[in-house]
Amino acid sequence: MTVQLFEPDREGEVHPLTFALLALALLAAAIAQVSVVARLPLPGGHPDLVLLLLATAALLEGPVTGALLGFVVGLFGDLMSTHVLGRSALVCCLLGYLVGLLADATERSVAIALIVVSGAVAGGTLANVAVAGLISDVAAGTPAQALLRAVVAALYAALLTPFLFPAMAAGVRRTRRARGGRRP
Amino acid sequence: MVTSAAQRCVEPEDWGAVVGRDLRRSRLIVALLLVITFTLITVDYRTGESSGGARGVVHSVVGGVESGVTAVVRPIGRTASSLFHPNRYHDRADELAKQNADLRRQLADDGEITRQATELSSLRLLADKGQYTIVPAKVIAIGDVSGTDWTVTVNAGRADGLATDKIVINAKGLVGTVVSLSEHTAVVRLFCDPRSRIGARLEGTQLLGSVAGGSGPGTLVFTLYDASYRVRPGERLVTFGSLDYVAGVPIGEVTKVTDADGLSRTAEVKPYVSVGTLDLVGIVVGKPPTDPGDRVLTPRTPPAGGGDTSG
Repeated sequence: MTVQLFEPDREGEVHPLTFALLALALLAAAIAQVSVVARLPLPGGHPDLVLLLLATAALLEGPVTGALLGFVVGLFGDLMSTHVLGRSALVCCLLGYLVGLLADATERSVAIALIVVSGAVAGGTLANVAVAGLISDVAAGTPAQALLRAVVAALYAALLTPFLFPAMAAGVRRTRRARGGRRP
Repeated sequence: MVTSAAQRCVEPEDWGAVVGRDLRRSRLIVALLLVITFTLITVDYRTGESSGGARGVVHSVVGGVESGVTAVVRPIGRTASSLFHPNRYHDRADELAKQNADLRRQLADDGEITRQATELSSLRLLADKGQYTIVPAKVIAIGDVSGTDWTVTVNAGRADGLATDKIVINAKGLVGTVVSLSEHTAVVRLFCDPRSRIGARLEGTQLLGSVAGGSGPGTLVFTLYDASYRVRPGERLVTFGSLDYVAGVPIGEVTKVTDADGLSRTAEVKPYVSVGTLDLVGIVVGKPPTDPGDRVLTPRTPPAGGGDTSG
């Protein structure tokens, strides 16, 4: 069952309005993540709003927008934190790029988006832990804990994507229509 | 081989060129971004942690937003359960139902206020036992975006008299230390962070040791720098105290002795504070005139312990 949601943007160029709105949403997600989501008493662990939104945005907008968005939100996260600058920026930038590469390969169906986004969230969680361990030379918990966190984050991503992906696709389509006059 | 080559020839040339150019361009952009991140990591790693410049600005701005978000979200969260009542006033039964819902909401609010008051008074009690001067603060953010930092952000900062390296406690005992400050917020590194290392001693001794994080939220590793002392499970730990850190803050209980040989002894410690439920904390800004010793720990046998602390 594949539902064609909208025509993928093959040119891979960055649209300023869409980019600005997605970046704003991601920055809001970063703040919501640490001050709201992290303290919700949810079973198992927590969803990762930033990775979830970033993966979805990259899947909709392609590798260049994905990499730029990842860089921006990652750097913002680094500035908010007390760890070495550029750590989350590196992980998020790579994640945005790699997920963006799959934008054309997928059929834009919710089913494939579900798998890609969940996988990206799990991979991003593990990459964060790995990069943190490599740079600061100390492990932030055991590998088993990191794996559990990644699996839980991926499950929450799988639960949220069926609602988030169509909503964001509709949002992006609207911003495209708003600038439709300029493009052929 | 031949067929694939033929297929490639069928494709229009300009399409291939467009894709190739886009791919090159996107790779260039990504490579550029990666170079920037690596430069940032290198530069920041060399200069060390600092809360100045861009980071300080982001901390102040985001701290304000986080305080606001916490203030707004909390009442909604605790009264959401009582909002699922029908709000029609067509007859008396509905009006009574509405009154009931209002009263329920009020009760929930009262419960929350009572809980906070209890928490604050037990924090005060602990601070008074050790004669610590504390600044109470609320947790407004937990961790960081990557989920690898064991830190919390609290809504008190330089304006409230805080300084870095101060000990942070809650009603149960040690929480962590202040690592960075903005005007109205502070970032606290929890005891379970891999970079956290705090001087500690066993109850009833003066032997120096330290507790380090890095093994998850529920376990600390205690290292005693004296191989002659035999650490036993059940012994309790308090902070050792130094120029910045106050002495005598309860840390936790030894659960397992892991290494009994060599030059030092290590043991696993179960901390008194559970980091998952942190809410109200106190930052110790003033030291007691004398070392409080072991009197901040809850007495093991109430009658005997009570006699000691009264003197």
